[in-house]
Amino acid sequence: MRTPRALRPLAESLAAVFLGLVAGGVLIRAFGHSPLVAYRALLVGAFGSREDLLETLAFATPLLLTALTFAVGVRAGLFNIGAEGQVYLGAVGATFVAGSFPLPPGVHLLTATLAGMAAGALWALIPALLKAWRGVHEVISTIMCNWIALHLSMYLAIHFLAEPGRAERTIPALPTARYPVLIEESTLTAVLFVAVGVALLVYAYLWGTRAGYELRLAGENPDAARYAGVRPERVVVLSFAIGGLAAGLAGASQVIGRPPAWSLYATLGNVTTLGFDGIGVALVGRNHPVGAVLAAILFGALAQGGRLMEYEVGVLSELVRALNGIVVFAMAVPALWDLARRRLAR
Amino acid sequence: MRGIHKVYPDGTTALRGVDFQLHAGEIVGLLGENGAGKTTLMKILSGLLRPTRGEILVDGRIVQFRNPKDALRCGIGMVHQVFTLVPPFTALQNVLLGREETGILRPLPEDAARRRIERMLEETGLSVPLDVPVESLPIGVQQRVEICKTLYRGTSVLILDEPTSALTPGEVEELFRFLRRLRGSGGAIVLITHKLQEVLEITDRVVVLRQGVVAGELPTREATPEKLVELMVGPLPTFRVRRTPGAPGRPVLTVRGVRVRNDQGRVAVHDLSFEVREGEIFGIAGVEGNGQSELVQALTGLRPLEAGEIRLEDQEVPRQDPLALYRRGLAHVPEDRARFGLALGFDLVENSILGRQREPQFLGFLGRLNRPAILRYAQELVRRFHVVAPDLATPVRSLSGGNQQRLLVGRELSKEPKLVVAMHPTRGLDVASTVYIRELLIQMRDAGKAVLLVSADLDEVLELSDRLAVMYEGRFLGLGPTEAFPRETIGLLMGGVVRTGTDADTARAPSPR
Repeated sequence: MRTPRALRPLAESLAAVFLGLVAGGVLIRAFGHSPLVAYRALLVGAFGSREDLLETLAFATPLLLTALTFAVGVRAGLFNIGAEGQVYLGAVGATFVAGSFPLPPGVHLLTATLAGMAAGALWALIPALLKAWRGVHEVISTIMCNWIALHLSMYLAIHFLAEPGRAERTIPALPTARYPVLIEESTLTAVLFVAVGVALLVYAYLWGTRAGYELRLAGENPDAARYAGVRPERVVVLSFAIGGLAAGLAGASQVIGRPPAWSLYATLGNVTTLGFDGIGVALVGRNHPVGAVLAAILFGALAQGGRLMEYEVGVLSELVRALNGIVVFAMAVPALWDLARRRLAR
Repeated sequence: MRGIHKVYPDGTTALRGVDFQLHAGEIVGLLGENGAGKTTLMKILSGLLRPTRGEILVDGRIVQFRNPKDALRCGIGMVHQVFTLVPPFTALQNVLLGREETGILRPLPEDAARRRIERMLEETGLSVPLDVPVESLPIGVQQRVEICKTLYRGTSVLILDEPTSALTPGEVEELFRFLRRLRGSGGAIVLITHKLQEVLEITDRVVVLRQGVVAGELPTREATPEKLVELMVGPLPTFRVRRTPGAPGRPVLTVRGVRVRNDQGRVAVHDLSFEVREGEIFGIAGVEGNGQSELVQALTGLRPLEAGEIRLEDQEVPRQDPLALYRRGLAHVPEDRARFGLALGFDLVENSILGRQREPQFLGFLGRLNRPAILRYAQELVRRFHVVAPDLATPVRSLSGGNQQRLLVGRELSKEPKLVVAMHPTRGLDVASTVYIRELLIQMRDAGKAVLLVSADLDEVLELSDRLAVMYEGRFLGLGPTEAFPRETIGLLMGGVVRTGTDADTARAPSPR
């Protein structure tokens, strides 16, 4: 009895992705390319060889983490769009620990990872506390924090972490603070396993613990949560902190878990838009950790396969980004369908 | 309106064949208990709801309203209990909102409109400041803006749903002056209310609804409070639960001088004192919105006390801490199960521990949920309280109201409580579930628990309570053993009419504001 109900969101997401690809095909057609040829290139580019598959997963890793940030917020009834800024600070925190001083192997990697996560969580606490204490709406405060984070991180990267003689990037992570590359020549590192582990932990927390139950209860029905003695402020702080840990790790993963740079660009170019893209990933993954894993692979595939699509077929890479958006839009279709059915039933 | 029937999509029958007439130049009072169908009937007349059967005639012509705009075109407008104003907009902007003459791109023709509105206000004697954001106006003036909005659309039939419930006595006087003036100029007015005194004061004719049919209709000058109450409450109900005299013991809940404010900051509960003893059901009757919700929320840790004290078994109750209260033996069946008592998107298993999620029996190591124990408990609830559900993984949203309530009541009563607070425990339920839940409350009483029952259903309070009080505008009008209150007396008290001895005169209940 349980399986069909649990699989329904998956079926709806797949249908939405399919619809999105069809609509994207129309767009590709409008630009004078053959959708079938383009999609073939996309598929081959994303999954055609072992190297391609690894690249797809490398793209998916940070997206999975920022999707978790958004998903945990939604489960608590919050619209946390602050992952973007938390990613920047996470990257800065990881760079500092990974590049500034030597530590024994293992310990160095661990502390660099934790530093990134902690930086992300601390940055998330600003909007969380504003909400809990003063009732400031999280959408406003997270947007503002994203901008502050952008300039703060660039400042820190340029003035404190810059590599002498190179203006474009920070000091690189020392070898002791780098995640091992899984297969020679690929950019996928073991940080993938950490990300998946975090997703599973988030899942176990939300559905397997008392605190996770209370968090979801506050999101599902705030009045019932009050009735059950749940303090809303604690849920706000907790869900933002968890989200910040995940986003901070996403930022760290691009510095200490992604060759060839092993450092943060002064423009933050290798970490920007990860937070915002994670929102779409979370929506397609139905704000569920397991769904987020699948959706992150999809978006990773679009990013990686899109390169070949551009190279071979000449489809603009901007069109690939448009495809991301169309798929997210298509996620509204199942809800519209439900709405239409209810209207007709009346 | 002829032969109006209304069945809601969820199967509730609100109206079963109502005839209703309204003439120009009269004020009609529409009376009835909660759920009698007053508001439904008027929502149909104003185009907000469509009748399942029956027809509406305006000036002898059959009309069909698809939406409130259609009704407005026929000159029928309704002012709802909850206002539909945009708070930061001025009165003028609110009145103009939604008018056909304001296109999306065209600017508001404020000057012409302002002159027209000012003339209209002058004619009707309403005083409304046009340029102040309505959020900064008192409730009474906001209501006038709402009326002004309706009149500006050219209505000759004005329907007012419980217009005086939020007004001060002075504001009520002003409203009534305006209504008389409107009647004088040929307007027709329907007043939905439960306050007998107001009906007697201002209306020309009274129509009483009971359980979806017209129970009676009479000219106001022939009406007395007794007659109206008789029509409202009707004959004795057809089904009853058996109730033997209780054996009350020592007090479990003691309430002393409790004052509580509502969400708008007004005092909703005025210095109430009472106690509920073990082995008794103490009932609080009254029309909804007289402070019952605020009282219950204060008693159950969901709302702060302004003054007074609440003691549970001789210990003062910590303020606003539901969990501490549950630990000390409170079971709470909240007024709105979908809002407070259940998480509709969660399944039966997760709902079975809502509010009990911190009890050690449901937890494992490191705050993990003990799934097997919770599942066993959910199964036990479903079995013991006869909850019908396809399986335990069903979201409770897809259960019927009766089964939702059985799950909730089962969860609360199986806590082994000392005090049960139940508000509207059988609202909207089928007969079988209603009887079942009432029997459960009696069982709790017989097992020596203290039960506080708050209900707008007069029959329910009369059937179950050992002692009762009637709540009106935040105070008790009468408190004593159930036998001391004939139905008619309670009906009068619910309508705010207090008898002094055997004297036939009626007096307005003490007004708190």
